[in-house]
Amino acid sequence: MTKDTNSTQSSRRLFLKRGALLAAPLAAAVPAAVIADDGLKARLARLEDEAAIRKVHHAWLRRVNSMKTVNVGVGDAATPLLANFEGTALDQTVRSIAADHAGEPDAIEVAADGTRAVGRFQCAVEIENAIAQDCTLAQMAHAQGGGFVRQTERRVLKVEYRKIGGAWAIARAEFAPV
Amino acid sequence: MPGTPYPKEQMHRIVYTKLSEQQIADKLSAVSGPTSASPLADVFAGKSIRIVTDKGPALAYTFREANRLSVAENGAGAVEAGYGALTQGNVAFVSHMIPNTQRGYAVVIDQGTNLATVFELWFSGYEDKREVQREIYYGYVEQPGQEAPKNRHVATNRVEGKGFYWKQDNGAETLEFYPSAAYSHFVELSRLGGELGFCGPSDYIKIDENRYIYTRTECEFSGTFTAYVMDLNRIEQVGVRLGFNANDALEYYVFRGKGEWLGQLAQFEKFGDESGNPVPAAAPGQTPAKGARRVYRPFKTMAKMTPAQVDAVCAKHTSAFAPRAIAPGPNAPAASMAGNLGPNTDWLAGKTFTLRYDHAPAMEYRFDDAEALNWRKEGGNWTKAPYRAYVSSPGVILFGHLLEGEPNHDGHSIVADFDQGLVTCFNGFLNTPYFANEAGVKIHFGVIEMEGLIPPKYRRHVLTDEMVGRAVSQNYAPGLTSMHLYSTPHSLSWIIFTGTDAGGLEWSGPASYVKIRNGLYFMYWLEEACNGTLGTILVNLHTMRDVGIGYNCGENGLNMSAMGAHERRAGQFDVRRFYQVKSDGGAV
Repeated sequence: MTKDTNSTQSSRRLFLKRGALLAAPLAAAVPAAVIADDGLKARLARLEDEAAIRKVHHAWLRRVNSMKTVNVGVGDAATPLLANFEGTALDQTVRSIAADHAGEPDAIEVAADGTRAVGRFQCAVEIENAIAQDCTLAQMAHAQGGGFVRQTERRVLKVEYRKIGGAWAIARAEFAPV
Repeated sequence: MPGTPYPKEQMHRIVYTKLSEQQIADKLSAVSGPTSASPLADVFAGKSIRIVTDKGPALAYTFREANRLSVAENGAGAVEAGYGALTQGNVAFVSHMIPNTQRGYAVVIDQGTNLATVFELWFSGYEDKREVQREIYYGYVEQPGQEAPKNRHVATNRVEGKGFYWKQDNGAETLEFYPSAAYSHFVELSRLGGELGFCGPSDYIKIDENRYIYTRTECEFSGTFTAYVMDLNRIEQVGVRLGFNANDALEYYVFRGKGEWLGQLAQFEKFGDESGNPVPAAAPGQTPAKGARRVYRPFKTMAKMTPAQVDAVCAKHTSAFAPRAIAPGPNAPAASMAGNLGPNTDWLAGKTFTLRYDHAPAMEYRFDDAEALNWRKEGGNWTKAPYRAYVSSPGVILFGHLLEGEPNHDGHSIVADFDQGLVTCFNGFLNTPYFANEAGVKIHFGVIEMEGLIPPKYRRHVLTDEMVGRAVSQNYAPGLTSMHLYSTPHSLSWIIFTGTDAGGLEWSGPASYVKIRNGLYFMYWLEEACNGTLGTILVNLHTMRDVGIGYNCGENGLNMSAMGAHERRAGQFDVRRFYQVKSDGGAV
């Protein structure tokens, strides 16, 4: 997917588009200064949401990369923002996720009601696959703590966010091909 | 009546007594200290020293004479014990037990640096109570008025790849190979006649660039512990052996030995990586228990089946060259080893020939296509079977198939040399004496009878020792790399590399090598008291590829599968002279 080339522009465009639709029925009855003020407030709120979501995302990345094995199905009381996962949406062989600076910029789209958002982050994902223990060599490799093959793949991390109690949390995360 | 050097049972076949804690205590109580064939060193006699270790005990010794000491552990009351000490230059090797316990120590003291390495040893620390456990502590000999030294002896991979012939002062002769940084491989020349090599978990510790400490515990066997300091220049050793032998007699002695350098294999770690202990003792994030180490225990974990169970499981599931998904499970076809196999050949498709073996029934073949053949023992009924064939060298084809209907569920792995008209078959079979699912093998030499091909009358492929001493690595697939060490004419050892390409776990089994051509060898190994597999590979030392066929029966059924690897030569030990086998062999 290459529809967005700049996250800031993307958000601004979406915001302006949605802002225009919302603003149209009100325009006749409300003074322009008030509209402008509301628009600025809405824009500010959206920018704050995006910033908060980025914070959640970065916290999640730090969390993921500090784990020996990514197991996102397990809630973590010490990191409340991560406690709202809906099952094991991620590939459990993921060992690390890093921003793919050669890929498309991050994109965060906040829904009009301000309670949901979707993030798209291009990543370099280190995948670990266990070698099947179907022979003596593989069994011995596992017995010594190995028996895995790691490779790095470019993927898009699609994350759904929910605003719960005024705070953003990850509701679902999944990888898609670039 | 002349005797032979061979034991009634090889080490992997001995049913070692499960000694109880009380039996061990009783046997230990009868011994005051280690014996020695060499005069004990009195270097410490009349002296007192205190050894301080980083994460272990402080040991206060008073050496009263050359074989009596008192020791106080961590400031506790001193106890009297017999001990033995031997020196190698300024390095002293001391060992003693703690009376009325099942514990003892082996201590290496470098009197030049005052650094010390302490091995705490104990029995009854594992379910097999005779297996000696060890914990290693690094420290120093306290010097009054001086600060503690900052350096320590350190675990290392600097011994990896080396091999020595050793002769101890008591006459025991061994070949000892260190192809791993976590395991070692040893051939008992005098005790067992040198037929087979065996493996044990090992420690390698650097004293300095010339001297190293080595340990080995004979896990899965007698549980005996051996440790020694070796001087790589002088090729001398001083050490200790502690354990119960096959007759359950305590062997506790210090020894001195001299050796011969046998060679150096390649190491595959990154340059600059000299770290030791490549196999972590515990899983990531876990603290290893005292004495913990990763030990490969194949006999403990292998399926052990009766002939009736083998018949039943073979009737339920027998497959040859099936995709792994068809038969998942621990005994499924070894698809992991087929990553670098390459395509099979259809060269045999449509062909008809007879493989006439010298001492086995002739086998007639009709090949339908690249994956199906029909076989019969001469004059018998035709049976259709799946097969795979691989070209290793022009005119030389490896192919294999199962022999459905044979009472011992035979499988043939065959090298047919159409340039010479010669054939060698490794005939795998089940219902072997120890465990029925463990594969056995017979070697058949013979000729190919085929229209337009005149085979030789006398010449045959031959058993050879040309591979003996060599080490060859095999990369079967990403993440699955091993190395074969062809340590004796009748056994080989395999080493599994870690993620840092250090040698890790290692095991061994009976083997044989057949020369097909210069640089082309057909060999088998048996994973006896292991997974029971018969592995056969055709090694091409020119292309550095091998193709092979595995034959395995387990709880999931009988399977024949293909394997293939990219190889690297890793060096060669000069050991053939120890086995008195002529290199050109002869037809069996």
